[in-house]
Amino acid sequence: MFLTRSEYDRGVNTFSPEGRLFQVEYAMEAIKLGSTTVGITTPEGVILAVEKRVPSPLLESSSIEKIMEIDSHIGTAMSGLTADARTMVEHARVTSQMHNFTYDEKIGVESCTQAVCDLALRFGESVEDDDALMSRPFGVALLIAGIDEKGPQLYHTDPSGTFVRYDAKAIGSGSDAAQQSLQDAFHKQMTLMEAHSLALKVLKQVMEEKLDENNVQLAQVTKEKGFEILGENELKAVIETLAAA
Amino acid sequence: MALYHNQPMAHAQEPTAAPIEHRFNPYSDNGGSILAIAGTDFSVIAGDTRQSEGYNIQTRYARKVWQLTDKAVLATNGFAADGNNFVKRVKQRLEWYEHAHHKPMGLKSIARMIQTMLYGKRFFPYYVYNILGGIEEDGSGAVYSFDPVGSYEREACRAAGAAQSLIQPFLDNQIYFKNQQPEPGSQPFIPGNLPLATVLSLVVDSFTSATERHIEVGDGMEIYIVMARDRTTDDLLGEGKLQKGMEIEELGTLGEGQGERTFLVRQALKRD
Amino acid sequence: MVSKAVETPNAGFDFSNYARNEFFGQRLQGIPKATSTGTTIVGVIFGGGDSGEEPGVCLGADTRATGGPIVADKNCEKIHYLTPQIRCCGAGTAADTEFVTNLISSNLELHALSQGRPARVVTAMTMLKQYLFRYQGHVGAHLVLGGVDVTGPQLFTVHAHGSTDKLPYVTMGSGSLAAMAVFESSFKENMKREEAIALVSRAIRSGIFNDLGSGSNVDVAVITKNGTENLRNYEMPNERGLKSRNYKFRRGTTAWTKESIRSLIVSEEIKSTSGAGKDQGGVEVVPVPTGAGAGGEEGMEIDS
Repeated sequence: MFLTRSEYDRGVNTFSPEGRLFQVEYAMEAIKLGSTTVGITTPEGVILAVEKRVPSPLLESSSIEKIMEIDSHIGTAMSGLTADARTMVEHARVTSQMHNFTYDEKIGVESCTQAVCDLALRFGESVEDDDALMSRPFGVALLIAGIDEKGPQLYHTDPSGTFVRYDAKAIGSGSDAAQQSLQDAFHKQMTLMEAHSLALKVLKQVMEEKLDENNVQLAQVTKEKGFEILGENELKAVIETLAAA
Repeated sequence: MALYHNQPMAHAQEPTAAPIEHRFNPYSDNGGSILAIAGTDFSVIAGDTRQSEGYNIQTRYARKVWQLTDKAVLATNGFAADGNNFVKRVKQRLEWYEHAHHKPMGLKSIARMIQTMLYGKRFFPYYVYNILGGIEEDGSGAVYSFDPVGSYEREACRAAGAAQSLIQPFLDNQIYFKNQQPEPGSQPFIPGNLPLATVLSLVVDSFTSATERHIEVGDGMEIYIVMARDRTTDDLLGEGKLQKGMEIEELGTLGEGQGERTFLVRQALKRD
Repeated sequence: MVSKAVETPNAGFDFSNYARNEFFGQRLQGIPKATSTGTTIVGVIFGGGDSGEEPGVCLGADTRATGGPIVADKNCEKIHYLTPQIRCCGAGTAADTEFVTNLISSNLELHALSQGRPARVVTAMTMLKQYLFRYQGHVGAHLVLGGVDVTGPQLFTVHAHGSTDKLPYVTMGSGSLAAMAVFESSFKENMKREEAIALVSRAIRSGIFNDLGSGSNVDVAVITKNGTENLRNYEMPNERGLKSRNYKFRRGTTAWTKESIRSLIVSEEIKSTSGAGKDQGGVEVVPVPTGAGAGGEEGMEIDS
């Protein structure tokens, strides 16, 4: 009757007697190993900031891609097994294009997030006729930022397929401290520039290396210009304001 | 020596080259006509109610115009079975959309969706001509017309069905002012700017005239009027605004209700 | 001995024109289609027996002529004259029904003249069927033939291929089923004249309202030995309503590319030459006025 924990670890779709899915919970742990990622909502738009871990000076830091565009009005930042995110982003991009094709309008941020989360629980033993199943849960969490008719929005998704909307959210290895800092500093009437500074300030606190334009990435989604990843000069400018403060 | 050199009639008629194919034809044409006219802040969508096959009247009251949402009305014409089924599927898709996206589908999105649904059956089409009318996100009256495989366009007016060839030239002249020169020194005509009363008269005259000269048009007509939010209804509901024999009813909102109002006007047509 | 193949004449019908017509049909994008009268036409025999009325025939027709689904004529006449006491309702191809009734009417008149007595209805029927049979159904006339002659009231149908029926009540055309439904439920022998007219017009109305090929008004003809009564537009149950708008165009609505007004009065100068070219006293030389029209003095061109 009482089986050891390890026996419930095997089946990815098997509940433990306490009602837990260990593989999913382990997947959540994988995120805590990932680099810190921050998202903040403001009335002007949403910003995303990630830490890029550059383990070697020989590594070309620009090749690390942790913020990706889903559609012209939606972007995402990730933490955890970033390779898994490719599948999710691909799905989000296709869904978003299909929506635009079918309805002649941009997809809602929530609908897009829902589409990504629909993927999350498609793991486990394949049922007959149910092809292309994944063998394990995703090991990545996403911050999905976008703007639609409901205004700027930020969503957090995890490997269980749950998604929640946040005003500001931090995920990854430094998330606990970062989330606390966000809670202390966030206010509803923040400007976009303030959000940029806050995001980097929060990252700076939790990063081991000294923050510079090579080991962080910033992106924003605004009503006017949609999704954009900040270029090196814009990033430098934000970092300078940090130093000045 | 042969008595008959030739077989008589041998040259006259070759046997039929190909075998005669007998195939099931899944389509039929049920006649009738529809039309829609857009105004600045309203849209009128109308159709007759006769359904026929050949020289027979199947029913004197069959619906061809359908309220889809608070701001969209769809008229179908052609093969009635396909039309009814198509409307059913469109309504189903509208419900799914509302569940998935927590909002009613906008007019232009319905138009695009109808295109994808029609083109999805490119090689076994719905034998239906659709006209979609309603109010756009910006509050303007709009009309979209479709061919059976999904080519579509936003227009100020459109007629379709059995009497299209009778009604469309009339609408071109009266709505688009084709072949009409404005009075010297006066403003040029702008299509889609006519007052509601004028548009309603044009719709009624289109159908009474088509009934006169087309055998498949008649029995009755249904005119749907969709009004933008905050628009006055005095020009429709006011005393003496409707012609004799017209009956009007307001159709309640289907969803949350954002202020658009839909009215249905019915009138009898000749039955011969 | 040189023998030459004998050209044997073809026996029976020659259908070679069929091939020719098909050939033209291909070149002309289809064989020309004639206006057809999707129609309701009917006839009944009434009177006699213990009705106490003169026996006679009552014929009826609708007045719609169609070309495909379009109404070509809203009030055409489908009860054709053959002789003073014989009428013939026509359904099918309008030109054929008109031509064939006209032709037979002529021949019946000649027949009456040569025989010195009015032609009988059977004679008309026989002439019609022989003519129609000769054309193998290509003359698209479907007829209801009725009249009164020395043998009494007579009523026939004649089909386009030449077959005929002799019955007390008949219907033809696309509305024949609708009309026959009325007859089958309500026909009685030895009806009174007014009963017969009412029944016929009800049968026609049934066609008008239930058959798309039929429409507009009811025409009736009543024939007894005393003569024929034409009840043209006996009922008009489909009068056009008023248009809700006035479609009178402002003068100048139609654009033009060029306007040129030319005076019809040609400018001439008349010189009196009498008296060997000399001016004569008392004769005034008057130039003819020019440009009396809208163009003024000379022909005026505008916008050229």
